[in-house]
Order: sequence, then C-alpha cells, then structure tokens
Amino acid sequence: MNKILRILVLVALPLSANSLPSEKRKNGPMIQKALSPVQVSLQESSAVFYNNENSKLFIYGTVVSEDGLILTKASELEEVKDYHVRVGTKKYRSPKLISRNDSWDVALVKIEAEGLKSVDLESKIEVNHGTWIVSNGATERRFRRPRAGIVSANKREIPGGSPAVLGVSLNAKDEKLLVGNVTKESGAEKAGLKEGDELLEVDGTEIKDRDSFIKYLTSKSPGNVVKLKVKRAEETLDFEVELMARHKLFGGTQNRNDQLSGGETQQSPRRTGFPMVLQHETTLSRRTVGGPIFTLDGEFVGMNIAAANRVEVFAIPVEELAKIVEDFQKSS
Amino acid sequence: MTMPAYLLFAVSSGLIAGGYADRPAFNDKIAPQTLDDFREIQQALQSNLARTRAATVCLQMDGGSGSAVIISEDGLVLTAAHVTGKIDEEIKVIMEDGRELKGVSLGLNSETDSAMLQIIDEGPFPFVEVDKDDSTKLGDWVFSLGHSGGFDKERGVNVRVGRLVRQANSTIQSDCMLIGGDSGGPLFNMAGELIGIHSRVGASREESMHVPIREFQSHWDELKKGSFIGEGGFAKKSKPGSGFLGVITEEAKEGGLRITEVWEESVAAEVGLKMGDRILEIAGEAATEEVMSNKLTELGAGEKLKLKWISGEETKEETLKLGERP
Repeated sequence: MNKILRILVLVALPLSANSLPSEKRKNGPMIQKALSPVQVSLQESSAVFYNNENSKLFIYGTVVSEDGLILTKASELEEVKDYHVRVGTKKYRSPKLISRNDSWDVALVKIEAEGLKSVDLESKIEVNHGTWIVSNGATERRFRRPRAGIVSANKREIPGGSPAVLGVSLNAKDEKLLVGNVTKESGAEKAGLKEGDELLEVDGTEIKDRDSFIKYLTSKSPGNVVKLKVKRAEETLDFEVELMARHKLFGGTQNRNDQLSGGETQQSPRRTGFPMVLQHETTLSRRTVGGPIFTLDGEFVGMNIAAANRVEVFAIPVEELAKIVEDFQKSS
Repeated sequence: MTMPAYLLFAVSSGLIAGGYADRPAFNDKIAPQTLDDFREIQQALQSNLARTRAATVCLQMDGGSGSAVIISEDGLVLTAAHVTGKIDEEIKVIMEDGRELKGVSLGLNSETDSAMLQIIDEGPFPFVEVDKDDSTKLGDWVFSLGHSGGFDKERGVNVRVGRLVRQANSTIQSDCMLIGGDSGGPLFNMAGELIGIHSRVGASREESMHVPIREFQSHWDELKKGSFIGEGGFAKKSKPGSGFLGVITEEAKEGGLRITEVWEESVAAEVGLKMGDRILEIAGEAATEEVMSNKLTELGAGEKLKLKWISGEETKEETLKLGERP
C-alpha cells in the first residue's frame, strides 16, 4: 500500500517572528567551535576522496591502519574512475582499491603512507539513544569540520539492499523461460541478449524455472559475470553478462519522504541492506558519509555508511567494522 | 477528568513558580562553549527519554500515518489536525512496543493544526507532562520524537535534538529535523515537558514547525468535546449535502419509509438495507420524506446517521457513516 506519511511543506514563518541567529543553531559555527576537541580525532583519522576530474570531494573514508589502509563506501567509489585522497593535510595521489564487501557496501583502499593515526577498532564504547556523536560535516582542503548529532534509534539490521540484476524481465511460457524487456545500459544489453531469447543454462547448469534462476542470481554480487546459454530462433548462443546493482540500473525507489530529503543528490543511492547499523540524526548528505564517528570523548564509534533520508544516517558500529577489516585481511 | 486545570494554569501562570524552575544552565548560554555543556544536554535528554518514548504513539488512518503523544493516564492524546483530518473518526494507535489500541478523534483546529484524540481501550497509559506555564524560551534546547516514515518496530521511536529557533503566535520553529510520518508527534523541553506538536517543514531541512502547546490550551474544552474549529487549510469540513446514503424511498402506508431501490456500492448496501425494508427512525425521529431530506441536506460525506428499520421480521438499528454523493 502506498501510504501517505503526514507532513506538510509550507512557507517559512513571517520575518517579524522572534528568531535565533543562525550561528547559534545546531549546525552553526558556535556549536562547531565548541566541538574543537573532537575535531582533532576527525582531522587525524578521516580520509577525503576527491574526484580528479573536477577536484570535488565525493566521499569520506576512515583510516584503519598506520600504513594507509582506508575504508570507504564502495558504491560511491565505483562511480569515480580517477581520484586522489587526503588524510590530515597531506595529499596521496595513487590510491589502490584492494577489495570490497558488498553486503556492507564497504571498499578497502590503500595509500602509500606511514605513521597515520588509525581509528581504534577495539573500542568497546556503548552508545545509547541521545548520545552525542561527531561526524565530518563540510570540509576545507586542510581542515575537517565537525558536525554533531545524537544516536536516534535502535541498533538494527536494515533489510533490502541492492541485489545483482541482469537487466531483463523474464517471461515464463510453455515450460520455457524467455527474455522479456532488456533494460538500456544493462549488462544484458551490453552482452547482446535480445527479447525472446530462451534461457537454457546459467554457468553450466540447466535453468529449470524462473524461481530457481532468480535464486541463483541473488546469490551473486554486482560486478560478477554469469555465463548464459540461450536459444534464439534455431541457434544456440553463449553470452557473458556482467551483473549490476539494481539501484544503479533503476535508481533507488523514490517516495515522498525521499523527495523531501532532496532525492539522490542528497541521499545515498545505496541506503538499504546493511546487516547492522547505528542510526543517528546528524545533518549529512550522500557526499559526507564514509568517515569515522566519535563520541565527545573522542572514542571511535563507527563509520557512516549511508545518508538514508533527511532525518536518518546509518553507521556501521565499530564491532562490526572490526570484523569487516578482519575478513579483508583473511582474504588477502 | 482534570484537564481544564491546564487552562487554569495558563491564565494564572504568573502566580505559579515555574514548572521549569530547575532551568538547566545550558539553556542560558548563547551556545555550548565546552564539551561539558554538550554532556549536560545529553544527560538531561537521556534522563527523559524512557518516559517520553513510551508516550509517543503512531496513528494509522485509512492510507495514512502520523504521530501523536499521550498526555493523561486515561489516554487523552494530542496530535495535528492534518493527521486526524476529521472529527469522530476511528484511528489505530500503536505504541513503541507494538501494542495496538483503538482511538477516536476528538476536536481539531483547522487554522492552527491542533487536534485531540481519545484512546478507547482501558488504561492506565504512559503519559507526559505538559509545559503548562509556556516557560520554554527562544534558544532553549529541545528534543523531538516521532514515528518518522510510519511505524517501524525494529527502529522504534526516532529521536532528534535541536534548539528553539523561532517563535510566532501560533507556530514555534526548531532545528530538529522532521520528515513525513512525524506530523502530530511531540516536541519537548529538556525537563521532558511537552511544548509543541510537529506540524510542517520549511524549504530548508533545518526548518521544522510545531504547534505550541498554548494553542491547545486556548481551545482546550472545544477540542475535547469534539468541535471542528475554524476554516483553515489544515483540515476540511465535509460540505453539507455531500453525504450519500444510497436509497430511494417512498412513504409507507403503515408509517416510515419503504425502500424502493438500493445503490450498489453505497453505505446503505454495506449495512444490508434491502429493497422492501422499511425505515422507522432517522436520527431518533420518526422517518418521513421530509426528515430524510432535511438530514441529507444537512450532513456531509463522512458524517454519521443513525437509522432504525425493519427487514422482514427483524428490526435493526445502526449508525452508519455517509458516503460521498456521486
């Protein structure tokens, strides 16, 4: 059901109203100044990713080793071909993508550095509803600006995610599974699949029915390649199709709250499907997630992973982040 | 019930030592200067969360969802007029733990976006105190609760913090962010007293508008007894004469009105009125063509009409909600 969620958008109050100057407000400079002791932690352990094409910041990262391992948001990183990284005041020109974890949407990047200040992945801090945490807000080239918000909801899994898709609709007809519409720019289109093709095999296994085929595809990740055998007229043809993330092909679903949140210039396109998140209400956007978050005492709490909407930011809690890093190390 | 006490306090607030007597020091600073100021805000906020979260509910109507807050043990609820939309409407009330309750909307003010609702199930319910003295000032730290985006049991109530950044007569503004589904939810001062109800958002995302509690206080009795106040944009009264029953009748020799035709998909068909049935009473009056015509000219779509009729051997009585005249 498409529910109406009640909130009205209306004009601002009359100017004559009794008003608090913007520098004193929650995201204003006075508050930012009072947070300067925490700024030190942000300055040391945040990475900033800049697009070399336009020199614009496109995502933050979190420093997890002294010798330059950085975690960031994978789905944003893959959008940019050529980038450089800043940590502290220093610029690193040739970052390398080492690995990625699609279930958390995290990428591991290496820069040539030494003596960096890693976040404390063994931090055992418990935060509750109402606990202040500090994230990267806007940034200057050499200076990270802190922005505060509170933990705002229960820690939990965010279902959904962005499954790997071929980019075709499927029609089951007389015991056959046929290709329906082929989506433009999809892996299926690039490989040359056409409407009406009969799907016979995937990765060497016979396709029995629609459900088992879809089940097989959902076990795959975006970027994986599947081999398809299809029948077209009297010919049997083989294709290699690269799977793509659903959100990339079709966009995230947009409801009224997404529009209110500024759509996908503000919201992270990949904002669902995380095994466990800490939620906070700091005013962040698509470009300002990826960095570390700290308590007022400078203790490491986790890494921002999605600007879900105008009131909800998701972060990967430190204990989960430690496991992700451990898995990366095992697999390398 | 003791609700009018709030009105009393409102007019005599000068005589009462403020409910916010232990006004926290951070409210009197221009802005937090040290981390300790933030810690004090955090402590005040956290000490009030269990109670305020328990009293913050989600309201579910046909095809819509909003928030609200319980303010008395027996289940009186404050919310926004554009959430309930109508008087005397059944609305599902969901608590943070998932418990579902039955509620009925009371009065609303279509000009300021205030509304009341009563939970029908038996209490006691968790409830919050109201900032009776209107003691919260510009710049004070506040927090906002709500079921943003609709009820989500795993997530629970959504908490936000900010400052009171603007005050006007019938609206206060904070920089706690809001989103669809928050409407009707509560805004609290750092003593955990209710100071406003979420109403709407402005163009930028830090502009959140709330109905101040004094707006409720100044129309308390009317709201409570179910009045539809004003002709503002937050709720529309149904137009007199727009109500539709869905029957054609003629006066019966033995008295009352004989039904000669029933519209398919009308409220009449829904409650089981059939051709040949005889209506005896309309809203407590003996049924005649004139009474029927008067009532239907008076009532709007969604309003209620009590009917008594004979179907075969059986006498039936039902209060039905009129449909929309096609």
